[in-house]
Amino acid sequence: MRLRLLVCLLVLAALPAAAQTTLKVGAIYVGSVHDYGYNEAMHDGLMAMKKAIPGVTVLEAENVPETAESTRIMEGMIQQGAKLIFATSFGHQQFAFDLAKQHPDVDFEHAGGWMQAPNFGNFFAATQAAWYPMGVAAGKMTKSNTLGFVAGVPIGFVIGNINAFALGARSVNPKAEVRVVVTGGWSDKAKEAAAANALIDQGADVITMHVDSPATVIQTAESHGVYSIGFQSIEAHKLAPKYWITGLGFTWGPFMTATAKSVMAGAFKPGMVREGLGEGMMAIAPFGPAVPAATKTLVTAAADKVGKGFNPFTGPLTDNTGVVRLKEGESLGGDKMGGLDWYVEGVIGKAK
Amino acid sequence: MITPFATAILTSSILSGTSLLYATLGELVGERAGIVNLGVEGVMLIGAATGFAAASATGDPYLGVIAAGLAGTAVNLMFGFVVISRRANQLAAGLTLMFFGFGASALIGRPFVGEIVTGLPRLIGGFDALVWLAVPTACLLWFLLFRTRWGLGLRAVGEDPAVAFASGRRPEWLRYQALSIGGALGGIGGAHLSLALTLSWDEGMTAGRGFIAIALVIFARWNPLWAVPGALVFGAAEALQLQLQARGADVSPFVMTMIPYLLTLLILVFWGWNRRSAAPAALGRGFFGVE
Repeated sequence: MRLRLLVCLLVLAALPAAAQTTLKVGAIYVGSVHDYGYNEAMHDGLMAMKKAIPGVTVLEAENVPETAESTRIMEGMIQQGAKLIFATSFGHQQFAFDLAKQHPDVDFEHAGGWMQAPNFGNFFAATQAAWYPMGVAAGKMTKSNTLGFVAGVPIGFVIGNINAFALGARSVNPKAEVRVVVTGGWSDKAKEAAAANALIDQGADVITMHVDSPATVIQTAESHGVYSIGFQSIEAHKLAPKYWITGLGFTWGPFMTATAKSVMAGAFKPGMVREGLGEGMMAIAPFGPAVPAATKTLVTAAADKVGKGFNPFTGPLTDNTGVVRLKEGESLGGDKMGGLDWYVEGVIGKAK
Repeated sequence: MITPFATAILTSSILSGTSLLYATLGELVGERAGIVNLGVEGVMLIGAATGFAAASATGDPYLGVIAAGLAGTAVNLMFGFVVISRRANQLAAGLTLMFFGFGASALIGRPFVGEIVTGLPRLIGGFDALVWLAVPTACLLWFLLFRTRWGLGLRAVGEDPAVAFASGRRPEWLRYQALSIGGALGGIGGAHLSLALTLSWDEGMTAGRGFIAIALVIFARWNPLWAVPGALVFGAAEALQLQLQARGADVSPFVMTMIPYLLTLLILVFWGWNRRSAAPAALGRGFFGVE
């Protein structure tokens, strides 16, 4: 017994010598990885990475608040030997960045931020244009021409998503309008349910959302026999067996795999990565049973168009108060989305 | 156009207000016996998590509601042991109970996050059974408190436990009873959130509703019947801002999200005056026996 323990200890002591072929990756999530949403998509990305590279082990922590608590948890992962950390929520940025300075031998990737250091990069998907095909799907499926959008916090990126959704819908159905309800938080399920109900009361027959977990909104729509379109994780289709149309999900696997490989090769290159449907950082979820073949073809075609570089924010473009925002020939790049504070024509709601 | 809109507001106020009403009634019955429980938020969370877990495990939402009620009672009895038998400070113990509720509910709910459950079925008018039972529960509680000997005793304990004891009541026993009922109602309030409104469990999903319930007890002047319009008004405050947005009202969404809190402030300003006269005199005070 004692001999076996000794052997174990020796093996453990010998492990660091073989560090080139193995890698411990840490990941912190702001919510649960079973949220059918943002955190589940991140977790699925890590699992894809683990599967793709033999010798990679993963340390995960759920419900990590965007406070100094996150420092403690990441520090613990580093103590356990993690050499690559994914800090996956926007508010983890400063804590991860400070920790990166203290641990130059550990590489960090943060989702959604802007900070840069030799061992600190950040990544996110260019979501706005990818919402365009979702709009096409909604515009084709609606009968009342009223689409509902439950939004968490109306920051520029969310407004951009809503705008691209409306532009897509009106490209196939000029009568379609998008009603927006803001809940004021990324995760307040009771309000999300009430917001979905309010939109249904106003005649919306397709509901979509941008909050951390789409589960409550999708289930509320399903229980009222109203169509839904998901966002964040493509797994969300499991929540609505009947009235699911399609959805947009993050597919972080390829990026995370490439990052882990670069760390193992000692060639980590931090950058400001923003990729979309074309590069495989986002994907369209499976279609629901109610979607006709012709609509599927239209949506897939729109997704291909976006993947090849089509920008829905191309002039002429008027906002919902009648002000011309983009003239013929002008366009708005993905890097300008953070500053958006107006809705396009066809959106009912105030952006500020 | 105004009529369907008014109906929509009323419907969503009722849906949002139901969990508040149960939690308010639960807090109210405890306060009538002289016990302030600042931990309602925790009790609601434990109810929401337990109810969701039980409904997920058994497939029966009604069993979930029963489990939530039992869990609420169990937690409140623990609180009771601390403040009644051990005579600890009620405010400190209540806050501790709230934090205990955060942790315990996370632990209970953890394996069930993301599970798909059958929610409480919608009955007549699209409302579930808990909605339909909410007002009858308030009436029953009013009857018990104000029209029975038991209720008289319970209120006497809340006014002056020593006098109640001298007249043959058992203050500690009555307080335990009040807390059991209060816990069950708080737990059921939480279960309405997870099993009827959102069909999901999420850590901290009550989002401060437990504290609104404590404020509502003051608004209701410690009367179960007044708790009904109170819960409805607070439900309406939440519903109104969302309904106005869906309707496309020309108001900034940032202003809209302030509506419930502005309303709370207004109510406290205009309602504050009768607080002293209606509160049970021995509220928050332990019973140390009579010398």
